[in-house]
Amino acid sequence: MVASKKTKKTHESINNRLALVMKSGKYTLGYKTVLKSLRSSKGKLIIIANNCPPLRKSEIEYYAMLCKVGVHHYNGNNVDLGTACGKYFRVCCLSIIDPGDSDIIKSMPGDH
Amino acid sequence: MVKFLKPNKAVIVLQGRYAGRKAVIVKSFDEGTRDRPYGHCLVAGIKKYPSKVIRKDSAKKTAKKSRVKCFVKLVNHQHLMPTRYTLDVDLKDVVSVDALQTKDKKVAACKATKERFEERFKTGKNRWFFTKLRF
Repeated sequence: MVASKKTKKTHESINNRLALVMKSGKYTLGYKTVLKSLRSSKGKLIIIANNCPPLRKSEIEYYAMLCKVGVHHYNGNNVDLGTACGKYFRVCCLSIIDPGDSDIIKSMPGDH
Repeated sequence: MVKFLKPNKAVIVLQGRYAGRKAVIVKSFDEGTRDRPYGHCLVAGIKKYPSKVIRKDSAKKTAKKSRVKCFVKLVNHQHLMPTRYTLDVDLKDVVSVDALQTKDKKVAACKATKERFEERFKTGKNRWFFTKLRF
């Protein structure tokens, strides 16, 4: 019971941090631009939805491993991730280029 | 945040005639040039992999089996899959963008990379690079 409560609280905090990034930072949404940001080493954190196809997920993780960039597996599917970004479309993966005022980069990459 | 499309990185070409072939980055143009306004790399790759050499092969057969056919190409970053492997073969003097301008310069560049690849294959190092990718 305690574990699930903790995940709910961290989940909300991710959403809050993501909302702050959307407002104040730079980001790209979508698989193509995520790979582009990794290739040009501009991405600082990658967030992947949980219903991302496993091949695509592995590919993004491999690029991120080469780049030494953290990957966060979002606890929700692409619909939820799109909603968390404040968009009306589905987002399977997104890359945070500049976190703005948010501390998402410092607090998130500990998990994988 | 570490750039990985650097010279000597082993990559796999994903599109085009050489799709599925392994290549090594010789030079990377991250910002692009005026002719190619996108990030691209000059790669030297293997057109035809060397065959499997076994112990009971004669010297003539080994020499025949160890032949490598090469290609030199400018490829968009999007059409490359980077790997964690590197191949430190010095190709900068041999392979350059102006080698791709005329046919005979290209052939000369391919011949020189062929020699370098073959001698690297014969030492037995970088075995992953010289094995065919099965898909």
